[in-house]
Amino acid sequence: MLELIQGLSDSILNNLKLYQVNQNDIIIAAKGDLDLSGYCSTSYVLGTKEALITIIGDGDKVTYLENKDIEKLSCEQLVSTGLLIATVEGVDYILCQFTNSCLREFSLLCRLFEKIKQGQVLEEKDYKMHELPLTCPKCGSFYEDPVRKICPKCFDKRKIFFRVLSYVPKYKFHITIMLILMLISSALNVFIPYLTGNIFYDEVLKQGGSLFGKIAFIVISIALVKLLATIISILYGRINSTFSSKVIYDLKTEIFNALQKLSLSFFNSKQTGTLMNNVNGDAMNLQYFFHDGVPYFIVNIIQFIGIFTVMMIINWKLTLLALIPIPLVTYALRKLFPVLGVLYSRMFRQNSSLNSIISDSINGSRVVKAFGREEAEIKRFSVVNRKNYEVNVNVNRINQTVFPLIYFFMGTSSLIIWSVGSWLVVNDQLTFGSLISFTGYIGMLLGPLEFMTRITDWWSNCMNSASRIFEILDTVPEVEEHKDAIKLPNIKGDITFKNVNFEYEPNKPILKDINFEIKAGEMIGVVGHTGAGKSTLANLICRLYDVKEGQILIDGVDIREISLQSLHTQIGFVLQETYLFMGSIAENIAYAKPNATREEIIEAAKIANAHDFIMKLPEGYDTIIGVRGQSLSGGEKQRIAIARAVLLNPRILILDEATASLDTETEKQIQEALERLVKGRTTISIAHRLSTLRNADRLFVLENGQIKESGTHEELMKLKGNYFNLVKKQNEALRLRGV
Amino acid sequence: MSEITYLKPKNAKFFRNNNGFLGLKFNDVEYSRVNLIKAFPFSYENKFISVRDKEQNEIGIIEDISLFPEEVQKLFTEEIERRYYLPKITKIYSIKDEFGYSNWEVETNYGRRKFTIRRDPNNFVNIKANMILIIDVDGNRYEIPDYTKLDKKSFKKIELLL
Ligand SMILES: Nc1ncnc2c1ncn2[C@@H]1O[C@H](COP(=O)(O)OP(=O)(O)OP(=O)(O)O)[C@@H](O)[C@H]1O
Ligand SMILES: [Mg+2]
Repeated sequence: MLELIQGLSDSILNNLKLYQVNQNDIIIAAKGDLDLSGYCSTSYVLGTKEALITIIGDGDKVTYLENKDIEKLSCEQLVSTGLLIATVEGVDYILCQFTNSCLREFSLLCRLFEKIKQGQVLEEKDYKMHELPLTCPKCGSFYEDPVRKICPKCFDKRKIFFRVLSYVPKYKFHITIMLILMLISSALNVFIPYLTGNIFYDEVLKQGGSLFGKIAFIVISIALVKLLATIISILYGRINSTFSSKVIYDLKTEIFNALQKLSLSFFNSKQTGTLMNNVNGDAMNLQYFFHDGVPYFIVNIIQFIGIFTVMMIINWKLTLLALIPIPLVTYALRKLFPVLGVLYSRMFRQNSSLNSIISDSINGSRVVKAFGREEAEIKRFSVVNRKNYEVNVNVNRINQTVFPLIYFFMGTSSLIIWSVGSWLVVNDQLTFGSLISFTGYIGMLLGPLEFMTRITDWWSNCMNSASRIFEILDTVPEVEEHKDAIKLPNIKGDITFKNVNFEYEPNKPILKDINFEIKAGEMIGVVGHTGAGKSTLANLICRLYDVKEGQILIDGVDIREISLQSLHTQIGFVLQETYLFMGSIAENIAYAKPNATREEIIEAAKIANAHDFIMKLPEGYDTIIGVRGQSLSGGEKQRIAIARAVLLNPRILILDEATASLDTETEKQIQEALERLVKGRTTISIAHRLSTLRNADRLFVLENGQIKESGTHEELMKLKGNYFNLVKKQNEALRLRGV
Repeated sequence: MSEITYLKPKNAKFFRNNNGFLGLKFNDVEYSRVNLIKAFPFSYENKFISVRDKEQNEIGIIEDISLFPEEVQKLFTEEIERRYYLPKITKIYSIKDEFGYSNWEVETNYGRRKFTIRRDPNNFVNIKANMILIIDVDGNRYEIPDYTKLDKKSFKKIELLL
């Protein structure tokens, strides 16, 4: 913003002169990129202590408003554009229009304008957009997505390649042996055609040859050489398998460790979500890279040089002639692969949409059956299946047509050798054995050609996989432990929010300027409409996310300075969505405290009123529950989650709709038990059912991310505000149902 | 369906305010500013449009804008164009791929644009038949209304993305 003010052009400044405004008077500014009807243009909104001036285009439209007349300046976000709106005498006026790219700047403008109106003096720090670092620390260029702190510039494929290789040095021994084996095997491969061609025909079968008639000897030699080649390839394959699997094992371990450290926001973000889906596939890709790709490449290069040399020595003219078709074939292949690549990726996408339909309808099988939609599902499937089939046919047809043709053209090399070679043999310029060796060699030369022409695609494919993996490994967790984080082994339980602002996605504020103090031991109830930000508030206390502005203090210490360990072992959180892991019920209850004794587990289960239903299960606490605890009812799962939090014996207990799926009777029992437990610790309980909160010391009413009312039940009832209305509505609803 | 309040030319009078916003007089209540929000932005562009007041409470639904007189329709289109600002790409000058992102330079019905999109199927969506919706890194949206109608050169550039 400050740079913008410094860099204003002369024509803009001239416009300002008409209103007696100097460049030095300007303290806030923003630049828009559209005119009022949506065309690309530039617009400036400039503010001084007294007034706000909007200049659209080159002064096509200039609006001058005095600050004292503007009741409110706000940004309104439309679908992909924003409007800057000034409210004057209760009426909204559009000052300018801009695309999403400028939204941050304009929201800052509005915030600063508010400060100016309140008579505050702006400081340097006010101009900073409260955001994560936006640039790459290495090269200083902008991240294109601040959530993914990955700099596109520093993502150099070659660097990635070396980084992939950096996983290798640990296995020096393996690699040395593999390289030696590769060399021997290449040498043997080059030698075999020579043995079966030149030596066999020219020395053994021909009269006067040095080995004439020694058939047994040559056959045994050939057999031995082939046996040796086989043994070497077996050895090589075994070593390679251990080696490449080990490298990938290391890498996968590292990926999973990195995943555990990442912040929630990484998993939530859409872009990084797709990154996750493919982690395993990407790792597989790298495994191929080590296991097949690199070795194949090296062997072929060595072999190519070997064969070429031998051929040149035998007859260099014939060699060069035979190589003529190679550039042509290479060219054709290079043209062909991009097209095939597109077809393949289309096939791949069709395939995955087929897969997702299958898993969609299997996961939703209850709904499908409940609404009797089996036929419709079959139809939905068959539409995609049909498309899939068509794409498959198409790809295979092209494959089956193009490749035979290409192989035919490759075959012209052999034709050249046969024709020119035979002519040379007849004229005694080439031995018969050399001709046989040649035909063998040319096949070996052309075989890897297909792979070699694809090597760049294949390479960049592997590097992309690698880059995605490194992207995960390199992501700096947003919620990070402070360098000298304080250990608070005995939290008292005071919680203070100071001007807390929070948003999940840029420019979509969820919590706005939240201020409150909770004393240790208090029980606070939080109510509010769905989507008001209640769970978000709870997430912030646990530091699952960091606040964007303001501070959260526990016992007077900023939670960003408290070690995550002391935070998470002393805050018990019963989440709105219960998640149970694969494992026994006991393990699930003891999830946050694995060293809990059996007594402690049972005690916690009793408090959560889960003991009795667990005892009804034939395997009791050892009952294995599947992914998400599918075999349990909603209320049963919830009670296990409560037990989990209770077992932790936390100083601060957060219950987010913890008893929502329970009947009133069970809820009452749990409440009584919790009440005993809750004594002396800070409790924050979020609930829709207001009766749940009747024991709360104070209630907060959250609306649209702001605390609208707070106080005891009686105080709020007297206020006759939002809370009063909520209570009234719920009572009416209960009466209607006759409860 | 009794749940839906329909706004008809008979009971709802729309007008343009001097501040540029759309106003409405409905059942003797005057709203100085109303918002039009499409219920089916892609499948029924001109039907089922929710009319909301400043606090986003629904006043009613316009079943089909063509039921209204022409000059009112014009007001609707203007208002909708502003909310659903969606430049139509008419020509593609260049697409350059770089590190998983692609930089586009295009001509739209709102002038020449440059933008960057992340290479991700969600940012290049085939909404219906031949229409493509493009979402750039800032969340701005662009549309190719019918890619078969692009000129040859432009089409070639996106052909492989389809
Ligand atoms: N991970 C997320 N990313 C983006 N937006 C989110 C995310 N989680 C929640 N939101 C949004 O934040 C807002 C507040 O959500 P929150 O879960 O805090 O509501 P709540 O008050 O707990 O509602 P409920 O009573 O339904 O549980 C909602 O509009 C929601 O869409
Ligand atoms: Mg919630």
